[in-house]
Amino acid sequence: MNDLSVRLMNCFSEVFPGLEKNEIFQASPRSIQKWDSIATINLLTIIEEEFGVSFGPEELERLTSYPSILEYLETKDRTSQFEKE
Amino acid sequence: MKLVDALRILREAPHNAKPFLTFLACGFTPGHLQTFLAANLQTLLPDRCVEVTTGLYGDIAGNIGQIDTLDGEAAAVIVEWSDIDPRLGIRSLGGWGPKQLEDILRSLLPQLNRIKEHLQNASARHQVVVSLPSLQIPPIAFTPTWQASSFEQELEEEVARLGSWIVRQPNLKLINSAYLTRHSSGFDRFDVQSEVLSGFPYGLSFASRLAQALAQLIINRVPKKGIITDLDDTIWRGILGEVGIEGISWSLERRGHMHGLYQQLLRALSEEGVLIAVASKNNPSIVQQALKSDRMFLSAKDVFPMEAHWGRKSESVSRILKTWNVSAESVVFIDDSPMELAEVKATHPEIECILFPKDDYKAVYLLLTNLRDLFGKTSITKEDSIRMESIRHSAIFKESVDDPFSADDFLRQAEAKLELSLHKIPVDPRALELVNKTNQFNLNGKRLSETEWQAFLGNPESFLLVAEYQDKYGPLGKIAVLAGRNVDNKTCVEVWVMSCRAFSRRVEHCCLAYLFDKFASEEIILDFKVTEKNGPFQYFLSEFSPQPSALGLRIPRGSFIAKCPARFHSIRELNDE
Repeated sequence: MNDLSVRLMNCFSEVFPGLEKNEIFQASPRSIQKWDSIATINLLTIIEEEFGVSFGPEELERLTSYPSILEYLETKDRTSQFEKE
Repeated sequence: MKLVDALRILREAPHNAKPFLTFLACGFTPGHLQTFLAANLQTLLPDRCVEVTTGLYGDIAGNIGQIDTLDGEAAAVIVEWSDIDPRLGIRSLGGWGPKQLEDILRSLLPQLNRIKEHLQNASARHQVVVSLPSLQIPPIAFTPTWQASSFEQELEEEVARLGSWIVRQPNLKLINSAYLTRHSSGFDRFDVQSEVLSGFPYGLSFASRLAQALAQLIINRVPKKGIITDLDDTIWRGILGEVGIEGISWSLERRGHMHGLYQQLLRALSEEGVLIAVASKNNPSIVQQALKSDRMFLSAKDVFPMEAHWGRKSESVSRILKTWNVSAESVVFIDDSPMELAEVKATHPEIECILFPKDDYKAVYLLLTNLRDLFGKTSITKEDSIRMESIRHSAIFKESVDDPFSADDFLRQAEAKLELSLHKIPVDPRALELVNKTNQFNLNGKRLSETEWQAFLGNPESFLLVAEYQDKYGPLGKIAVLAGRNVDNKTCVEVWVMSCRAFSRRVEHCCLAYLFDKFASEEIILDFKVTEKNGPFQYFLSEFSPQPSALGLRIPRGSFIAKCPARFHSIRELNDE
């Protein structure tokens, strides 16, 4: 597991304490009962704090599961590394 | 505070503890502000389980109106421009043209008056803290944004008028907008995307800062009590022993102005009841002469005790703490030498040691601001203005009564006068202040919020006795508070505190005797609990060998009369005046 996914898992654990690893990997509002609109705002804000990113309105609508958020962060990370090079 | 920290604090709160309910009244989506407020309150109240509830979106007046009906202990009200008129926000498209500006101004006063009326009702039973608009007015006026318009000036003038009213109300407190400005710039406060998409207008860091300020206003922390300060390169610029009295300075022309400002603040703090003492490695006679200079802002009479010698500063601090009879944690030690600070800290780890940053103008200014925060209080009482003098007199008094053979003789000639009042209304802020800061002569260590205190006093069975003392050595002000209930010929005392400055004067005996007489009680029952610090109270109790009962410790009238030592006080009752 890479550093990004570990940090993202920690964010999920802060908002949804008690989730097992495998539950986090598949986490979405469908699989987690406590994932309501407030949890969405808390989760995305914590991710913004942790990764120094800022989600626009489209991303707020699209990023509704662990895999989708991880993919977004990995793409962001690759882009910023490419820009550095 | 980061959001992740706030969520963690709330998750780890003691969920079975006594709840602390707070209502957050705002017209916007409370969002992270609610989380941050709860987390900040939880940090300040680690033994309670904080819960923050909120009202309806878009109805600030209605939400404030709800406070009156709630059982919570406190309420926070956040008013933003869009609450005054939705057209002053960005979620409404009601028009920003000249006609709308006129209409907004026309509806301004009625809406502010509605808010004022609801605040007045809400504060009748609750402590309410208020934040007035902290965001910028949107670009609604026709002037360029660098030019102030009459429209904006009128809005701000009326809101400022509401603020002036709020700060004069006993149960309302207002966030200082200058404090918010110091910690966050205007544009960072506003999160446009969040406001448009979710109706929450604040940037995360501003929400955190605002919540912190609200929590601090709700939970009045106990201010520090005393400052122990160095002299050389602190009170004045220069080393007295090297340059002499003429060589030291605190004036602008001799580059000592920041020391003058420090003196000026110490003088003000002294007048506000803060204890000031000196711990300096110096020749004591030259120090006395220097402090007598009429050019000094801080004079010898503002300082007690004065520890000027060549011994260790930690020892000076120990003696000062003993004379003041305060704990190290309520004192700040200020010195320009990191070594002296470390030496004092090693002996008194609870003391807050602060470096005086000589030659750094900005750092000295920040120190002055920090001292204001450490010693700031909501109001100044009569007792604050006489505290230093009464400690000076207490030191003389204590020396005399420590000899048990002369105690009666000494007290007989002291010309002690005790004023006793059973008035519950108007609520005396000094009484609650004493209850919440007294440790040593304290029946049970109980601390009460303003709301709990008001609820207690509102009970028709309850009584409150406040004692004010003076003798020929000077006044001590209001120094004792007893509160409880009268039930079936029994007087049950639930709160009893007395300032340590009044020890050895038999004030406690007079208070008990007064209760027996006034309420014709056959016994007084004390809701006593041992605390870490209430040794002096335990010592007092041991005089009467009270008997345990289901309600507390019983002191029968006969037992009290038989064992009470002589009292020489002239008692004056204030109840019928």
